[in-house]
Amino acid sequence: MQRGVTLFTSGDKPFRKPPAIETKLVRTCEAATEKRSTAALMAEWNTYYHNEDEEEEQEEGEQSTGDYKLTGRDSLVFLIDASKEMFIKGEDGEPSNFDMTMQVVRSVYTSKIISSHRDLVALVFYGTEQSKNPRNSFKHVYVYHDLDEPGAKRVQDVDALREEKGAKLAAETMGSGETSLGDALWCCSNLYSDIKLRLSHKRLMIFTCRDEPHGGDSTKDRQARTKASDLKETGVVIDLMHLMKPGGFDVSIFFRDIVSPPEDESELALQLEPCQKMEDLKKRVRAKEQKKRAIARLKLCLGEDIKVAVGIYANAVTARKPGAIKLYRETNEPVRSKTRTFHTQTGSLLLPSDIKKAQIYGKKKIVMERDEVDAIKKFDDPGLILIGFKPMESLKLHHYVRPSLFLYPEEDQVKGSACLFSALLTKCSERNVFALCRCISRRNVPPRFVALVPQEEVVDEGKVQNIPPGFNVIFLPYADDIRTLDTPQFPSASQTQVDKMKEIVSKLRFKYRSDAFENPVIQQHYRNLEALALDMMAPEDTDDLIMPKVDQIDDRLGPLVQDFKDLVYPSYYNPDSKPAAKRKPANIGGAAEKKPKLEVSEDELKAHVQNGTLGKLTVPVLKEACKLFGVRTTGLDKVHGIPGGGLSDNTPGLLF
Amino acid sequence: MAGSKSALVLCMDVGFSMSNSAPGEEPPFELAKKIVQKFVQRQVFAETKDEVALVLFGTDSTQNPLHQDDQYQHITIYRHLMVAGFELLEEIETQLRPESQQADWLDALVVCMDLLKTETDGKKFDRLNIVFLTDLNSPASADNLDAMIENLKKDGITLQFFLPFPVADNDKEGGGGRGEHQYPGHPGTGKGLSKEQKNSRDIMKHIMLNLDEDEGLEEIYTFRNAIEQLSMFKRIERRPMAWPCQLTIGSSLSIRIVGYKAVTEEKLKKIWFTVDAQTNQKDDVKRETVYCLDDDNETEVQKDDIIQGFRYGSDIVPFSKVDQEQMKYKHDGKCFAVLGFAKQSTVRHHQFMGNQVLKIFAGRDDEHAGVALSAVIRALDELNMVAIVRYAYDRRCNPQIGAAFPCIKEDYQCLMYFQMPFTEDLRQFTFPSLENNKKFTPSDTQLSAMDSLIDSMMLVEEDENGEKRDLLKPHHIPNPAFQRHFQCLHHRGVNPGTPLPPIEPWLKAALELPEVIRERCQVPLEEMKKNFPLTEVEKKKKLKTSAQIFGKDADEPDAKKVKGDEEEEEEYNLADIAEGSVTSVGSVDPARDFCTLIKKKSLPFGEVCQQLTHRIEQFLGNKNTQYYMKSITCIQAFREQSVKLGKADLYNSYLQSLKRSIPNRGLQVFWDLLVQDALTLISKDEVEGSTVSKSEANQFLVAEEKKEETAAPPAAEDPGDVDDLLDMM
Repeated sequence: MQRGVTLFTSGDKPFRKPPAIETKLVRTCEAATEKRSTAALMAEWNTYYHNEDEEEEQEEGEQSTGDYKLTGRDSLVFLIDASKEMFIKGEDGEPSNFDMTMQVVRSVYTSKIISSHRDLVALVFYGTEQSKNPRNSFKHVYVYHDLDEPGAKRVQDVDALREEKGAKLAAETMGSGETSLGDALWCCSNLYSDIKLRLSHKRLMIFTCRDEPHGGDSTKDRQARTKASDLKETGVVIDLMHLMKPGGFDVSIFFRDIVSPPEDESELALQLEPCQKMEDLKKRVRAKEQKKRAIARLKLCLGEDIKVAVGIYANAVTARKPGAIKLYRETNEPVRSKTRTFHTQTGSLLLPSDIKKAQIYGKKKIVMERDEVDAIKKFDDPGLILIGFKPMESLKLHHYVRPSLFLYPEEDQVKGSACLFSALLTKCSERNVFALCRCISRRNVPPRFVALVPQEEVVDEGKVQNIPPGFNVIFLPYADDIRTLDTPQFPSASQTQVDKMKEIVSKLRFKYRSDAFENPVIQQHYRNLEALALDMMAPEDTDDLIMPKVDQIDDRLGPLVQDFKDLVYPSYYNPDSKPAAKRKPANIGGAAEKKPKLEVSEDELKAHVQNGTLGKLTVPVLKEACKLFGVRTTGLDKVHGIPGGGLSDNTPGLLF
Repeated sequence: MAGSKSALVLCMDVGFSMSNSAPGEEPPFELAKKIVQKFVQRQVFAETKDEVALVLFGTDSTQNPLHQDDQYQHITIYRHLMVAGFELLEEIETQLRPESQQADWLDALVVCMDLLKTETDGKKFDRLNIVFLTDLNSPASADNLDAMIENLKKDGITLQFFLPFPVADNDKEGGGGRGEHQYPGHPGTGKGLSKEQKNSRDIMKHIMLNLDEDEGLEEIYTFRNAIEQLSMFKRIERRPMAWPCQLTIGSSLSIRIVGYKAVTEEKLKKIWFTVDAQTNQKDDVKRETVYCLDDDNETEVQKDDIIQGFRYGSDIVPFSKVDQEQMKYKHDGKCFAVLGFAKQSTVRHHQFMGNQVLKIFAGRDDEHAGVALSAVIRALDELNMVAIVRYAYDRRCNPQIGAAFPCIKEDYQCLMYFQMPFTEDLRQFTFPSLENNKKFTPSDTQLSAMDSLIDSMMLVEEDENGEKRDLLKPHHIPNPAFQRHFQCLHHRGVNPGTPLPPIEPWLKAALELPEVIRERCQVPLEEMKKNFPLTEVEKKKKLKTSAQIFGKDADEPDAKKVKGDEEEEEEYNLADIAEGSVTSVGSVDPARDFCTLIKKKSLPFGEVCQQLTHRIEQFLGNKNTQYYMKSITCIQAFREQSVKLGKADLYNSYLQSLKRSIPNRGLQVFWDLLVQDALTLISKDEVEGSTVSKSEANQFLVAEEKKEETAAPPAAEDPGDVDDLLDMM
């Protein structure tokens, strides 16, 4: 099922469309539209908070549930109308359709470069005066960019076609002439067939503002239809981006027969609404697209000979800046590294059999062969062994050591897997239990216990999957992984204090979405890279979405903050000042007890401490001193602990 | 607790009764020795600062400072108080053996107390402990018992007893829970005790109850139980590092907090270092990384002449480290700032990221912060909400988005912080529905079979008292990887030159399903088997090409070539389906074909070899890592088969000619691979007929490397010598 604009195909969905955003973005200025709309959402706190209980989860149309195991490259051909009509500027100096289209192309180029630079993109104009195509066999078709990986040069090429000067350049190089969409499509189909790579997804997007490209020439219309169906037969999905046209664009006149039919009746409406697609296209994506691939295929063993084939997927992996490539300073060409191991004395190269591995314990060097080091880690062959079931409440939040994985059956490895898996999933979720398993994910990897937590499928009204069916694999800690902490004890807040905080919490409620926060570090990096690659003066601004919107928070909270502080903090207390207990931490004993803060003249006290005469001061005296000075947080009643004759090293509780 | 230090005296009975055992049972001496060993082993591998002494009693000789006349006889201080090193383990392994005397165990206790008192003098210990391992079979005179107890109390010395039998009514066996079933019946259970044993047992109980009225008897263990427990190497413990910060809500509300890592996947502290196989010396081995241009000469480039770049689509953009540093995202450092609050139900366990759980408490000794934080915690708890926060450890670390959950325990309250994903981290894969597919929809019978399986395998049960009992808690199991690691290190250290031992049975058992469950689920499992037919899909055995083994994406220097590769493979896969019989060395899996042909003997050896080398040369012409790998596999097979058949000549001469052609054909990369895999000439040692000596064979690969380093030959653009090479065969 294909819906709407699917730039990111092969079953993966890099981004969900955020809910409720203004949709007439196409006509607004670029700066505003290029921002990821989640960002826009974050900025709008009011929407943000109110959003919470509204149940209208709008899922985007970009979804595909087709074959989810596609491999190969995606390809995309922009087939753009270059007729005069495209260059007509809108009223009030709004950019021409051509200009807007170039914005879109640029945006897709730059997105692709980062998300999936191996995808192939082409830029073809039709209805041009000049012709330029591989064998120059088609008139009025101008292949601006061949089907290839996009790079900086191409982005700059597209930039050159933007705005006033761009229109001029287009007129000079290509001009506007006759139109034969049939020829244009044919040319595009040649582009596809010239590619020797395996293409997983072929898409062609027509951008035009003319609903009757051939002005009623039925022969040309027919040729175009024939060529379009040829293309579709070879697996090319043809999409139409019809642009603004006075009097409206009538898809039914001609283009309905050209574009790929929607698979779903309900999508017909979408097809008629171009704006949304344009906006989606213009959305900048600066994240690597990930192909869906199982990180391991294992057997889930319920018993001796009940083995279900499952695939393990990583649904979330910490994204990092892409790795740097080492270049030779002089020529900027990539260098390769070679690592050698050699003997220090003889200088001779050491073969793997010439080295061993060692560790030192108890002053003894213990040596092992290299393969023994691996063998130690081997407990069993890879697989998931069912140990039993536990009620969900046995799985504690803090049972966490690394990001979870996702489990889905592999019917094509063991027939019957999906059915058993489905039964297990149904029953586990019905009974609110999880399956405890021992998991060895790869060869020579020691076992870990995992909780298989059932997750039932959730689809939206449009039958689009929001949450896939399967088990979340949660890694459980071993005894070694849980640290022993001294848990300090504090008095609990009173109900009044709690209630005040509840007001604060309620004021700052919002609907959390795991995909709403971009990583500012990575975003900045990509922008920097873009700026360097495209010779920009400065990188685009990065919106730090994980920065608290302090002003708005303050606004929303108003006097609540002061109310709360009055309830919990004494007037003299300043949580922002450096705590006095900086120098040597006190042993926490009865810290919970209310007591005045102490600041005896520091020097005086120090002197006492140094001379070991602190014990000479009586407790009441010290207490009195505290009351007088009361700012610093010295635990005075520790003084009780001072044994008769001054301080020894291990006297607990004194701060100096 | 990490950082604290104990002094321990292991006091072991080696007297003659310790060697007695029922037939088929291990004598108490052996069990006790194991305990001592395991204990010391733990000390050594945990690298504690604890000091350990070993006192033996029942020894033939006597060696202790209290010995006078016939007082304190047959008690030997085997080792004084000091940090346990590996040599102690070795001594125990080789020198500790049963002896033939008997000594009053109370005397031995006094010797231990004296030792602790004198040898800890002037040092600081957090705990003084005496561990007693005995069968209590020696006569004991309880004369000064009370004074002894007084002294133990006064000096703060604790006692632990390890016995071959459980102490009747107060058997601690239940505590172990799991694993009980593995050791049914303890040797010499309570009933068969001798008079001395009964007497001694009562004295022991008396002492223990006096030292600790409530839990004293819990410090009495059986050998079996102890071995099981001690088998575990010490839990890795780390001193928690405090992370003081401020929780902020908006600009003017801040609460002093301190965070601790509460859960994190512990790693072993030590990593393996590389040593020379002959000398076992680390210093003899050096690793060096050099950089070279990707040209035929592999021109070496100085490290200083290397800059960084990043891929931007089809381009690589140079981006120096200095510029990166200057342009990178910068922030204000340490922070724990609330962005807003969200429903707990929207923040799911399976969405957590990162590798740790932080617990956030109020600032140390700051009860105002304590109250304020408590208000936050309880408010969140009552509203079922979480705080979404920006967390940055410090200026150098990248900031995170995370969720802080309220956590209210009987004795403390805190926030638990989990890292949450960034947009870029998510891969929103879709999977086909399982429900809508009739083929996969389980029938009612199938569902009820699953139901009974779940019933039979519930690990959490309520006992008669309505108390929940969990049969297997992974977070109570020590990481088996560490256990195994130390077991092997210990074994290798004590028994060098012998193969590594199998995994210890207790460890294996701890990872298995509990015996109760295993028994209970048998019937439901049978039912499952009947109801869910599972058939392995017979696949044409996937051909393992080097490209598959080494990963297709490895390098992919030229995309189009890779495509060709894939197509080619497919073609040959088809050819392979028709398989029939191998008649010549094909290009899909030449190594396999080669071996098959050799085995079949349908063609003369020389010809098969020639076919193989022809393929190798073809592959090498491609100058592509994947083809290199394929070639390596071929050469490996060539070598193996040659050695097997005792025919070294063809292989050796091919390899020599190949080597000669390396510089001219720019195949250094390939040669390096060959060197890595140690594919050298076949020496006399391997095949009698070989004209190559062992040292020549060893030098063969190495010498080339040197030559290459000294004089990189100029590029000879002449790949046409492939045929010449073949002709030489």
